[in-house]
Amino acid sequence: MLSTKGQVIERLLKGDFICRTTDEDGWRFLKSPANREQVDDYLATLNRMVATVGSGADSDVFFCGYRQLGEDERKVVGQQFRDVCNALTPLVEWLVLVQEAGAQDAPLTEGSALRLNELQSIVEDTPAFREQLARVSHYRLFGSTSASVDGQIKQVFKRLCELGYLVRPNPDKQIYLGTGKLDYLYEVIRFIDETESLDLEQRAESASQGSLL
Amino acid sequence: MSGNLHQAGVRFLRQLGRHAEPIMDAYLAGSLPDQALEPAVQERLVKDGILYRPEPGADLHLRRVVRALLEEALRDDRNRQIDANTGSALATFKTLAAHHKEARHQGDYAAADAYLADLKEHVYAFGETLGHGIRVLWSRINNEFGYVGSLGAKIRENELAQSQVSELLAGLEMISFEELAETAGDQRELRRLLVTSLQRTVSACSQELSIVQGRLLELLGRFRQIRGRTRLLKGWLLHMEQQPDYQVGNHAAHQNVPQLFNQAAATLAPAAVDIRNPLHEAELLALVAQIRALQPPDRFAPAPADAGELVLGEVEAFEIEHNPIREAVSAYFCQVIDSGQPISALAWRAQQELPWDAESWLYQVIGGYEGLPEEQKRHFELDPIGEAHPLYSGNFIVRDVRLWLA
Repeated sequence: MLSTKGQVIERLLKGDFICRTTDEDGWRFLKSPANREQVDDYLATLNRMVATVGSGADSDVFFCGYRQLGEDERKVVGQQFRDVCNALTPLVEWLVLVQEAGAQDAPLTEGSALRLNELQSIVEDTPAFREQLARVSHYRLFGSTSASVDGQIKQVFKRLCELGYLVRPNPDKQIYLGTGKLDYLYEVIRFIDETESLDLEQRAESASQGSLL
Repeated sequence: MSGNLHQAGVRFLRQLGRHAEPIMDAYLAGSLPDQALEPAVQERLVKDGILYRPEPGADLHLRRVVRALLEEALRDDRNRQIDANTGSALATFKTLAAHHKEARHQGDYAAADAYLADLKEHVYAFGETLGHGIRVLWSRINNEFGYVGSLGAKIRENELAQSQVSELLAGLEMISFEELAETAGDQRELRRLLVTSLQRTVSACSQELSIVQGRLLELLGRFRQIRGRTRLLKGWLLHMEQQPDYQVGNHAAHQNVPQLFNQAAATLAPAAVDIRNPLHEAELLALVAQIRALQPPDRFAPAPADAGELVLGEVEAFEIEHNPIREAVSAYFCQVIDSGQPISALAWRAQQELPWDAESWLYQVIGGYEGLPEEQKRHFELDPIGEAHPLYSGNFIVRDVRLWLA
């Protein structure tokens, strides 16, 4: 049917993020500078271009950005920025919950696997996590109205799949993979941290040392 | 002399074998309590240099060399010791080379050969130690410092490994081949050992070490990135907790929008189906079939509803609606029975002034005759009245029918 190039262009125009986890062929295709140029040329007609998360050769997540920003484009970009900012706190709280429940050093990133059943049983057994999940799931971003852990966690996972932060490679199994959009999220926080000099890392470190003392 | 050494060595190894259990216990637990061994055995092991007491009153520990032997043989991850002491090794080489040269000079070839063998042993051991150090580093890299739990510990382990690599590299830099060549002089064996063989070892090792260093840096970068991300998340939550009314500045409104926020709106909507495209027919049909399969089966076969109450009572009288033309046919039949004379259908129709046209009347009569039960039918005869077709033989045109009693 469609060539890889066609598929890549289609996905970009649909507003998808292309990373190794969601679309390995497309990702490989875009990793080659010559191919990326071809796609860029095609998108130029539509005032669009291939944008990356991070910069240089180690950029692993691709999405579609505007080439030139007029009035209308600015409106779209502004709206999207507001959406991203509104989603930040719920997503961050959820990521921290997952990391703490799994007792892991590393937060969820692209390609890391997450088993819904395991997470659910841990959360169910720990009152603090249960409370946290209830708070996270009732954010408007996730929009759960359920009172049970089961309903809340399923709704959160469903929304995360819809938003493109998770994929479920096998519909028969409750195993989810993080996508490149998570990396995008980290970049956004890092950007805000740097531009507004919030000093988030320093703050977290001193807080954790404070709790040790 | 060498016979004695051989015997002593075998005795030592047997000693190790005989007390393998307590030695492994000491290896795994770090030390052996006093009462674990019989005093005689304990004394012998201490005397042979397998166990030692680091300070009075402390438990017995394994000697470093025995521990190193076990670590090497078991490929134990906890083995972090790397011998980076190139300086003393080089000094030994030079000393032994000088001994060898002196012995040759004095014509004492037996002693010279012994010194040369000794030197060989040292040079090879030097290469082996370097190789071992690199192997240890690689094994730590390959399991990403999996033997320690937390990310902070991994970062510290990585930093330790990096300092070891730098020390090894610094040690290798100390080797000056010019000096060694001078020491070797014009002696072929010495040259081969100290210059050719050593050079090969050193260049291979330094090459590998630089790869190790690259990988270590890469790993450290990754660890730091992970830690950075965790801290970012936690920091964000802390920040939001401390300043609940915080609003992110509108970074998308700058003159130059950062690339991160320049995300185009989705433009592609799913294309519609073209049902006139013959190429798609098979797929579309399959889709349609699927649609039906998706319907819940009970929708087509509704579950039987609760049966209504069954009341036994008198059957209500009902009337069958009479069909006038059929009644007319019955009347015609009755007339035939009553009169016993053959009557033509059309004649009866004219006589009774029936409203239906001739053809449908005839069909009705024929149908009425054919519809009779077999035993009644036997009593009647229905004769067609008509003529053969003038042109096409075998065709008979029925103009009328006559019914009479058989």
